[in-house]
Amino acid sequence: MTRQPVTPEDIERVYPRVAEIVSDALGVSLDRIRPDVPLIEELDAESIDFLDLVFRLERAFDVKIPRGKIVEDARGDLPEAEFEQKGVLTEAGLRRLQEFLTEVQPDRFRSPMRSADIPRLFTPETFCKVVVRAQRAARVAA
Amino acid sequence: MPGRFAAFSFLDRITSLEPGVRARGQYTVPPGVGRFPPCLVAESVGQLAAWAAMSTVDCRRRPLAGLVGETRFLGEVAPGQTVDLAVELESCREDAIAYGGWAHVERTPILELTRCVGPMLPAAEFDAPESLRADLELLQDGGAPAGRFHPVPEPDIAVVDGASGEWIRAELRVPTAAPFFADHFPRRPVLPGALLLHGQLRLALRLAGETLGAKPAATLVPARVTDVKLRAFIPPAAVVEIRVDTLARAAGAATVGLAARVGGRSVATGRAEIVARSAR
Repeated sequence: MTRQPVTPEDIERVYPRVAEIVSDALGVSLDRIRPDVPLIEELDAESIDFLDLVFRLERAFDVKIPRGKIVEDARGDLPEAEFEQKGVLTEAGLRRLQEFLTEVQPDRFRSPMRSADIPRLFTPETFCKVVVRAQRAARVAA
Repeated sequence: MPGRFAAFSFLDRITSLEPGVRARGQYTVPPGVGRFPPCLVAESVGQLAAWAAMSTVDCRRRPLAGLVGETRFLGEVAPGQTVDLAVELESCREDAIAYGGWAHVERTPILELTRCVGPMLPAAEFDAPESLRADLELLQDGGAPAGRFHPVPEPDIAVVDGASGEWIRAELRVPTAAPFFADHFPRRPVLPGALLLHGQLRLALRLAGETLGAKPAATLVPARVTDVKLRAFIPPAAVVEIRVDTLARAAGAATVGLAARVGGRSVATGRAEIVARSAR
């Protein structure tokens, strides 16, 4: 499957609004938001915050963001059984994730990694990419 | 089970239902109860939204209170009056619902909810799906038995410390047993978010009274609550540390930050706008 890459310019275009939304959703000041700040480990985000974030982004950018979209996009055309087994990412799955989440420092991809721990890697830039892809999908649908 | 469908169910009948899209319903506050707090009216609207969502998945999943973008308190319902309830679902998916809703009494709006989001979880963790299906059928057919509501006890809140007009810290002691546990989530007893918010608003009103100064001709009321986020379940016997902080004040109005923690962990956040309304 060919995937058009998200460029730094794409991210720059949406980042200011995404940063504001992350700040509002997590109840932290805007100056604590950086593109690469891990949302769970440094800003104490929880699962309800991610739900909040997704709905706020959908409303702000007028896009639809299906649940599990980040992992689904990371997996791409790799069959599910080759991406993860019994809730743990395979080596191939971990490589795919690392290729996809380029905004995450390489040393944060630790093997073995449970699928449930993938959100621990997410940063504001991860959500910028989600928005950019959702905008592209909306344009295609239109 | 004692209390089930009686101690924390604030919907008598569903008058129209488009599963996953919209619903209308009614609830009559029994004449014998005292005041019916506005937070329980909000709970009524949320319960109608929950049925509208559960009806799409044969009650296999149920939404929980998660986020409430804005609640506007416009009036109150008196004992014996009937509240007309309405919800419109912005989206209804397997993982979450988003909705807004409102409540009217005799065509006058008393409450509006907007930008609400509830995560959808397996219903069997919280109640027997077959019981939920039976309740849904009852609500759509003849309606639930009238006057089944048991009054909900006021939360047990004790002020710990504070700075007059600036902040108050208090403890809410969740009872070890209460009828509402068996009705709210029979298989998972927790303090309902609406009761936590009711307790927080009591403290916010007290703080706003200090902030704005007591004026005998005016009554302080919550006008709006925004950005409520319920982060974790609060079990029976928990001690909830509630803190309210004055964030802003203006002529006749104060904005109060609401925070709740259990064992040092944040379990709920939000903010309330308290205003002075002239007594009639």
